[in-house]
Amino acid sequence: MPLLGSFCLLFALALALCCFVTGILATRRQDATGIRLGEIARRAGMASFIAVSGAALALMWAALNNDFSVAYIFHHTNRVLPVPYKIAALWSGQEGSLLFWAWLLAGYGFVLRIRHKVDRKLTAMASIIIAGVQIFFLTVVNFAANPFGILDKVPADGAGLNQLLQYPEMVIHPPMLYLGYVGFSVPFAFALAALILRYPGEKWIHITRRWTMVTWLFLTCGIALGSHWAYAVLGWGGYWGWDPVENASLFPWLSGTAFLHSVMMQEKRGMMKIWNVWLIFITFMLTIIGTLLTRSGIISSVHAFAQSSIGEWFWWFLVVVLVFCSFIFFKQRDHLKPENTMESLASRESSFLFNNLLLLGACFTILCGTFFPILSEWVRGYKINVGPPFYNKVFIPVGLILLFLTAVGPLLAWRKTSMGSVIRNFRVPAILALLTAIGLIVFGVRPMHDIAQFFSWLTLTMAMMISATIATEFIRGGRVLQNKLGGTLFGGMYHLTRRNTRRYGGYIVHFGVAVLVMGIAGTAFNLEEEQPMALHAKLQVGRYTLVNQATTQDDTARYESESALLDVYKDGKFITQLAPELRTYKPNDQPDHIVANHSTLPEDLYVVYEGRDSDGSPVIKAHVNRLVAWVWIGVWIVILGTGVALVPNAAQIKSPVTVAEVLAAKQFQPAGVGK
Amino acid sequence: MKKFAQVTVMAVALIFITGADNSDQARVNKIGSKIMCTCGCGQMLLQCNHVGCPNSGPMIRQLQANVQKSSSDEDVLKWFRDNWGVTAVVEPASHGFELLAWIMPPAALALGLGLIILVVRNWKRRMVSAAIAGVPVDPQIEAFRSRARRETEL
Repeated sequence: MPLLGSFCLLFALALALCCFVTGILATRRQDATGIRLGEIARRAGMASFIAVSGAALALMWAALNNDFSVAYIFHHTNRVLPVPYKIAALWSGQEGSLLFWAWLLAGYGFVLRIRHKVDRKLTAMASIIIAGVQIFFLTVVNFAANPFGILDKVPADGAGLNQLLQYPEMVIHPPMLYLGYVGFSVPFAFALAALILRYPGEKWIHITRRWTMVTWLFLTCGIALGSHWAYAVLGWGGYWGWDPVENASLFPWLSGTAFLHSVMMQEKRGMMKIWNVWLIFITFMLTIIGTLLTRSGIISSVHAFAQSSIGEWFWWFLVVVLVFCSFIFFKQRDHLKPENTMESLASRESSFLFNNLLLLGACFTILCGTFFPILSEWVRGYKINVGPPFYNKVFIPVGLILLFLTAVGPLLAWRKTSMGSVIRNFRVPAILALLTAIGLIVFGVRPMHDIAQFFSWLTLTMAMMISATIATEFIRGGRVLQNKLGGTLFGGMYHLTRRNTRRYGGYIVHFGVAVLVMGIAGTAFNLEEEQPMALHAKLQVGRYTLVNQATTQDDTARYESESALLDVYKDGKFITQLAPELRTYKPNDQPDHIVANHSTLPEDLYVVYEGRDSDGSPVIKAHVNRLVAWVWIGVWIVILGTGVALVPNAAQIKSPVTVAEVLAAKQFQPAGVGK
Repeated sequence: MKKFAQVTVMAVALIFITGADNSDQARVNKIGSKIMCTCGCGQMLLQCNHVGCPNSGPMIRQLQANVQKSSSDEDVLKWFRDNWGVTAVVEPASHGFELLAWIMPPAALALGLGLIILVVRNWKRRMVSAAIAGVPVDPQIEAFRSRARRETEL
């Protein structure tokens, strides 16, 4: 089976090369031979997916059948590993995850090539570009990080999978993240293809709109799952540690978010064409930088795989991509002249422009922090670490301005908005935000107590402002349709959303972001206590009292464990029992915390079994993490909103209009018509 | 408007009534959040839950002692840089080469903002010069346009 896998990989590389070369030849001929060559290229590209699938399945088969003659299988699995984690071994190590990258890319390429009828010429060029990217990854997997390397002597059992990865979310977190990373290759390929072909209009944007949204959704889910995994497994009480690899997933997410907003300016007003093309080029390059960070080991991270020379391959690939994109851009830049210009700073266009500036500013900030250790090593000879305090100080102000723009942006019209209109539309959200700010102080938030509380106070106020803006947009639009179609206000809001899913789906996403940041803002009010807890000892944290009722030990095939059984009382009333656990996995004696979490909407009681003190008593650390559940609820709302935005618009219901309805409609002055 | 001003003044007053917490424990939490455990676990000093960690215990005790001894947070951080290596502190200093980390993000944002203002001014100037050049405009169409803008704010 390893031999078959190796053969499939080589065959896939040959097919990708065939697709690339014959594709280029086909573009140079306009006759029947050109058409035949184009078809050969398309079929070769599709066949490359089947070949890479063969290689990926061969590796999975080896994992499932404990074929420890394959070095990769030996290093990342063992006999007692449950089946889902054996499958997850495909993306648990360097070589396997690169094969997984190549597989997903071939899969995206397959879908693109099968849907070639959307626009044969543009798809053919995009297919060549995808094939170029495939050639790079397949070359790396074949010659620099082959997952089918054979051991001289077959061991009886494998080394096992890193115990931190033995968690259900880790089976789906990397695929989601990779689907997000790899997916940006498709809009990149279409943008580059449209530029090479000097394609008229915004067709590439229309074709890639759903691709980009789906890719962004995958990346969002991947990041959220990773955060949840960190919260549930790592046992330090948080969900975001500003680890370099976590940061790497944010680079393309931030630039991709900027792209999703700025393409609207090109679609509606024919503006920002150069900006959009470069934004998607940069997003693609950032996905490669993200992969480089994870693979090369140039930056120490809990995610990074071993140090390897693979980083050089990625640096060279980045250089090639940058040089090629720059060359095409300078050659064809006259094709990207804007059709319109901005008329006023008080307009939807300018809000998108500032939104883009801030998103890219945030991206640059994280990029600076992530690469500063390398920069300092080059300049000073030693690494200067950059951790959470830096990111919190620099990122939070940028994030707050972004939140303000999220609240104000939907109220601005395209081209120009009068001050009167801004004041009229913004009155209710501003009053509600002010009331929230005062209410928070009345209920005990102390913005001047410390800087964290100040930022939380501002964030919660902004979250309210965003929610109020969105609610007023839904209610005003819903009322118009309620008057027109009859029924309830909710019915009107439903029809409103169905008629412009992209706009109102986008608002739901914004609402999700508001809920999510509300959850993050709770961090400022977290509490924690740690102490040894002998039998029947008590630990007080906030309003909770924990009483140790028993300690137990266990020994299974995979790990040894110790746990404490704790009765939990809130304000003296029994609410639940928690059993935090410490496991020591057998193959490598690595400890792993199994956190016990009692989650409610206002707060989580998060309990960690830290170990034993010198007297043998279990040491328990208890955190009260405020509003964490809202982070996950916010993510679900973002997913829902993106799902709504992906649904095609419903056809307009045409009915005769009465004079009274026209008068009623005149009362409604939409703030941002046409989004 | 008067009521709005009164409410704003009250809100600001409420904010400033509350005082800042400068207790030793608050300083330990604040400074501790800038220091990393050096055992290799990759966690912040105060969050290190690595069982049997040889470094976090002594480091936290040294932090508490230094906070009592010194009134300057920067001096405490310098002590950790000198005794546990520059990589122990994960917040770049606000002087020397490390200042670059603090300057780069706002500088990039300011540069971007400047560029946006330049581009928008350039666009506006072009629009004005096009209008001065006397591009023939159908008054009827212009009237329709301005009415549509007024009524729909498109």
